[in-house]
Amino acid sequence: MLRFEKRDKTPVRLRVIVPVCSVLLGLLVGSVVMLFARVNPLRAYGAIVKGAFGSAYTFSETLAIAVPLILISSGLCLVYRMKFFNIGAKGQYIIGAICGSYLALFGPATMSRPLLLTLMMVLGTLGGALWAIIPALLKVYWNVNEVIATLLLNYIASYILWFFMYGTWGTRGFPLSKNFALNAQLPRILPAPSRLHIGLFFGLAAAVIVWIIIRKTRFGYETRVLGDNERAARYAGINVFKTVIIAAIISGGLAGLAGIAHTSAVLRILQLEINSDYGYTAIIAAWLAGLDPLVAVGISVLLAALEAGGYQIQIVMRVPFGIVGVIESSILFCLLAGEIVTHYRITLTRRLSTPLALDERARGAA
Amino acid sequence: MEGQEQLMLVMSNITKRFPGIVANDHVNFALRKGEIHALLGENGAGKSTLMNVLDGIYYPDEGEIVIEGKRVDLRSPLDSMKHGIGMIHQHFMLVDSLSVIENVILGLESQGFYIDKKSVAGRIEAIAKKYSFRVDPYAKIWQLSVGEQQRVEIIKTLFKGARILILDEPTAVLTPQESDELFGILREMKSEGKSIIFISHKLNEVMSVSDRVTVLRKGRLVGTVDTVSITERELAKMMIGRDVLFRLERKDIEQGREVLKVEDAQAYNDRGIMALNKLSITVHGGEIMGVAGVAGNGQVQLAECITGLRHLVGGHVTVEGIDVTNATPCTLTSAGVNYIPADRLGVGLVPNLSTIENAMLRKYRQEPMRKGAFIDYGAACTYADGLIEKFDIAVPLRNAPVKVLSGGNMQKLLLAREIEENPRLLIAEHPTRGLDVGATEFVRKTLLEQRDNGVAVLLISEDLDEILMVADRVAVIYEGRIVGIVDAHHVDIAQIGLMMAGAVGAKA
Amino acid sequence: MNPTFGSILIKVLAGAIQSGTILLLPTLGEVLTERSGVLNLGLEGLMLIGAFFGFLGAMKTGNPYVGLLLGMVAAAAAAAIHAFICVTLRGNQTVTGLALAIFGTGLTSFYGDRWVSQRLTTPIKPMAIPGLSQIPVVGPILFSQDLIVYAGYILVALFWFLLFKTKVGVNLRAVGENAKAADAMGVNVVGTRYFWTILGGALAGAGGAYITCCIHPYWLNGITSGKGWIAVALVVFAMWNPFNALVGAFLFGGIEAMQLQLQAGGTYINSALLSMLPYITTFVVIIVATLIVRVRHVGTPKELGIPYAREEK
Repeated sequence: MLRFEKRDKTPVRLRVIVPVCSVLLGLLVGSVVMLFARVNPLRAYGAIVKGAFGSAYTFSETLAIAVPLILISSGLCLVYRMKFFNIGAKGQYIIGAICGSYLALFGPATMSRPLLLTLMMVLGTLGGALWAIIPALLKVYWNVNEVIATLLLNYIASYILWFFMYGTWGTRGFPLSKNFALNAQLPRILPAPSRLHIGLFFGLAAAVIVWIIIRKTRFGYETRVLGDNERAARYAGINVFKTVIIAAIISGGLAGLAGIAHTSAVLRILQLEINSDYGYTAIIAAWLAGLDPLVAVGISVLLAALEAGGYQIQIVMRVPFGIVGVIESSILFCLLAGEIVTHYRITLTRRLSTPLALDERARGAA
Repeated sequence: MEGQEQLMLVMSNITKRFPGIVANDHVNFALRKGEIHALLGENGAGKSTLMNVLDGIYYPDEGEIVIEGKRVDLRSPLDSMKHGIGMIHQHFMLVDSLSVIENVILGLESQGFYIDKKSVAGRIEAIAKKYSFRVDPYAKIWQLSVGEQQRVEIIKTLFKGARILILDEPTAVLTPQESDELFGILREMKSEGKSIIFISHKLNEVMSVSDRVTVLRKGRLVGTVDTVSITERELAKMMIGRDVLFRLERKDIEQGREVLKVEDAQAYNDRGIMALNKLSITVHGGEIMGVAGVAGNGQVQLAECITGLRHLVGGHVTVEGIDVTNATPCTLTSAGVNYIPADRLGVGLVPNLSTIENAMLRKYRQEPMRKGAFIDYGAACTYADGLIEKFDIAVPLRNAPVKVLSGGNMQKLLLAREIEENPRLLIAEHPTRGLDVGATEFVRKTLLEQRDNGVAVLLISEDLDEILMVADRVAVIYEGRIVGIVDAHHVDIAQIGLMMAGAVGAKA
Repeated sequence: MNPTFGSILIKVLAGAIQSGTILLLPTLGEVLTERSGVLNLGLEGLMLIGAFFGFLGAMKTGNPYVGLLLGMVAAAAAAAIHAFICVTLRGNQTVTGLALAIFGTGLTSFYGDRWVSQRLTTPIKPMAIPGLSQIPVVGPILFSQDLIVYAGYILVALFWFLLFKTKVGVNLRAVGENAKAADAMGVNVVGTRYFWTILGGALAGAGGAYITCCIHPYWLNGITSGKGWIAVALVVFAMWNPFNALVGAFLFGGIEAMQLQLQAGGTYINSALLSMLPYITTFVVIIVATLIVRVRHVGTPKELGIPYAREEK
C-alpha cells in the first residue's frame, strides 16, 4: 500500500526534475501514440521542430501563436496563485475581440490609426475584464464555483459572437465581418508573409509587469497570502473583495487584449473561428510554468512551437494535428501526477487496519 | 479483586506511548456490568487515549483487555464493535445531508442491497422508545439539534449491538436541558444492563450520574472510588493535586491601568452553541492574567472575540478605554492588540510563504517596507533577520516556506513578529503547545519580559502548571464564564480544581 | 403529400429524444462521479474516445453494439487515468480534467484522420416497442427509438433508485458529502471514487459511441461538437439528480433539434439566442444551487474536488 508522508522541504532538484521528466514522459507517450499509427516519432518530432523553427517565417509564425499564449498565461499566473481557477480565458478572449472589433467595424473611418488602435485595444481589454468580473463577483459574494461559472461564460461568449456574426455584423449572410481597414489593423513587425505583430511586445511587457506585480508589489503579496491562507489574510487586514476583483480584472483584461490583438493583427477580420482555444492552451502553459509569468513566456513559445510544428507536419508528413493535443496533455498529466512527489514522500508499507490509527503517527500526542 | 463474572471489562496495565510522551502509564481500569463509570481528569491526563485504546483506534504498547472474561485483541474500531463496544466521540461522524436511517446503516455490511427503510425505521424507533427518547428516523441530520444528533450517534452504537458505551465529554455540546435528558437516557440504559463509561471534567455531572469514578492524572491512575463515598473537593484534589511548582522570577511592579475590559461577553461557537455566557474579565498593564480551564469551555472563542475574529452577540470589549466591540482585526491591531494563536498555521502564519514574507505580514503597509505600491524586500529581509537574531530563531533558509520550520521556531517567529508591534495587549493562546523545553522556556521568559515592560498579557493555556508558573492572577473559565479569580501567589490548588470542574461559581 | 405541422413537430421531438440521449449518458455518469466527490471536466475527451473507438469497433466487426462496448471500455480506461491522478495522487482535479479533454480531442483526431467520412453501414437501428409505439403522439416520440434510448430511460430510473434507495447509494453519497465520516464507518473511500469515476467515464464513452454507431454513423474530428462540456454544465443544472438530468438532457436536446429546424429555414440569429438559453439557465441554476445549499443543505457535494487524505487533519 502506498503511504504518503508530508515532506519537510522540497529538495530544489525535485523542482527541476519533475517538470523535465514530465516533458520527457509526455514526448514518450506521444511517441507511443504515433507508433500505433505507424508514424515514425523521431521523424515527426524532427519535422515539428523544423516546422516551428526551421526558417525565419516559421519561427515568426511560432511567435505569432505564442503572443496570445503569453498574454493570457501571464494573467492566469496571477489568479491561479490566488486559487481563483478562472478557466474562462476563452470567453474573455472572445468578448475582448468583439468589443475591439466593434470599433474597427463601426467606428469613424477617418480616425487616425494610432488613436483607433489604442481605443480598440483598450476596449478589448475592458471587455475581457468585464467578462471576468462577473464570475469574480459571484465568487466573492456568494461563493459560486468559478470553474463552472467561467466555463458557462465561455459558451455564452461563443454564442454572442455567433449572434453578431450571423446578424448585423456579417456579410451577405455569411458569418464574416468586412475586412478590417488599414487603420484598424494592428501593425505587424516583419515583412509579409510573416504575421508577427506588435502584440509580442504587449505580451512580453505583460509577462514582466505581472512578474513584478507578483514579486514586488503589495498587491501581489496580498494575492499570494490570500491564495495560501484566507483566514490569515483576513486577519492581517487584507481586503479579500478588492484583491480578487482586481486580479480578475487583470487576468480577464489580458485575455481580452489577446483576443483583439490577434484578431486585428493576424486575422484582420472578425469571424466565428478566432483561435479562442488559446484560452485553454494558456492554462496548460501557466500550469507547466509553475505559475511563474517569465517561465510561462518560454513555455508559451514551446507550446506555440508545438502548434506551429503541428500544422507543418500535417501538411508535410500528413500527420494529423491531433498529435499536438496528445503531447501537450500527456506532458500536463505527467506534471500533475508528479506534483505529489514534491509535497509528499512516497513509501510502501504494510496495510494498517485503522483509518484513525494513522493519526497517531501524524499527531504524536494524546 | 472482584469476581470476574461481575466485571464487564477489565483493562490491565495499559501503556500507550507517543513520541515524547507517555499518554497512558500502566493504567488499570475495570467496568462493572450495568454501571455508569466516569473517567475524570484534566487536559492531557490520558482519558481520551485510554478510551481510544478501547475503541480500537490505538493499539496499546503494553497491557491487556478482557471483556466478559475473555481476552480480546482490538486492532480497529470494527473489532471493538464486534465485541460490543461503541464510542460516541466529541465530533460526530454524521453526514448532514443524509437522514437518520441512512447514517445508521452507512457502511454496515449486514444490510444487503436494498434499504428497507420501514424496517430500519422501526428498529430505530424501538431502540429510542426503549430508552424513552424520541427521534424521527426520516429526518435529515442538518435538521436536528445537536442533542438530537448526539442521540443518533447513540442509536448507531446500539443498532450495532453495543453493550459497552463510551461517551467522550458528551455534555460539551449540549444545553443544560439536553444534558439532563442525556443523563435520563443513560440511566435507562443502565437499568437495561448496559455498561457506560463517560469522560468528563465536570464534577457536578460526575457526582450526579455516575456510580463510580476513576481519576487519571498525567497518564497515571490516581484511583477508583465509589461516587457516594467521596466529596467534590476530594475529587478535585485527586484530579489536580500537586504542590505548586516554582514560580518564575519577575519584577515587582505596580499594577498598571486597566487595559482590557470584557463585560458580559456573549458569543456562539461554530456549532451554534453559546460559548461565551456573559463572560467578564479585566486585565491591567504590567500583569499576566492566566485563564485556566479544561479545553472547550470558551477559551478559543474568548481569544477570537477580543481579536476581531468572532462576532459578539452581546456584551462589550474595551481596550484602553476605547470600545472595540466587534471591531475588525485591523482596527484592533492598530489599537495595540496582538495575538499569538494556538493554531500556528491557522490564522497566524501563511504556510507556503517564506519566513521573510511571514515576518512582514504586520508591517508591510508601513515604511520602510512600503515603497508606494511596491514592497522593499531588502527592508523586509533586514527586518526578518533582526527578528531571527533577536529571538534566536533557527531558520535554515529564509526563503523556504515557513511550514518547514519546527513548531518551536514557528512559534518564536510568531511571537517575535507580534511583540515587535509593541502591543498594549498581548493575547497568547496555548503558546507553548508542542514545543520543546528550550522553546517553551523562551516563550515564557518573553511573556514575562513583556509584562515587566508594562504590557497587559492574557495567557490562555490548558497547562495549569504553566499558568501557575507564569501568571500574576489566575481566572478560571467554565462553560463560558469566569467563575473565579485568584492571586497566583497564594493559590489553593483544590480551590482551582473545583472551579475548573464547575463546582464553584458556575450556574447550577 | 405535404407533411403537416403535427408530423414535423413529432419528428422534432423524436429527434430531441435522440439528441438528448447523447447528452443524458455522460451527464448521468458525471452525476455519479461528482456525487462521489470527484470532478471530471474531461467528458468531452471521453466522449470523443468513446465515439472513435466505438466507430472503430463497429467498422471492424460489423456489429455496432460491439463498437459501443469497445467505446465504453476505452473511455473507462481513460477515466481510470483521471481517477489515478486525482484520487491516489491528489492532483488538481480541474486541470487534470482539462488535460483529459485535450487528450481525448487530440488522440481521436489523430487516429481518426484515416477514418474521416467513412461510413458505418450497420448502425444501430430503431426498435419500436410493440404496443407502446402505437400510442398516438407519445408512441412515435418515446417508444420508436433504438435500444440505447431505452437504456437511457432505464438507467435514469436505475440510478435514481440506486442513489436514494440502496445501501450502495448511501455509501456513495456519504463519500461525497463527508469522506471522513464515511471512512470512519468503514466505507472504502478510495475504492468508491475509483469505481464511480470509471463508470462515469464508461457512460460518457457510451454517449459518444452512440453518435458514431447510430445517429451519425461516420467519423468526423470533433464529432461531439462540445457535447461533453454541455454535459458538465448539465450536471449542475440537474442539481446532481438523475431525473432532473433526464429533463435537462431532453430539454437541451430539444433546443438543438429546434435549432436544426430553424437553420434549415435560414434563421440563424434566433438560433444563437436559443442556443445560449441553456447555458444562461444553467448559470442561473448554479447561483441558485450555491445559495440554496446554505438553507436546505442540498446541492454541490461538499467533497467535490477535494482529495481525501486520511492521515491529515
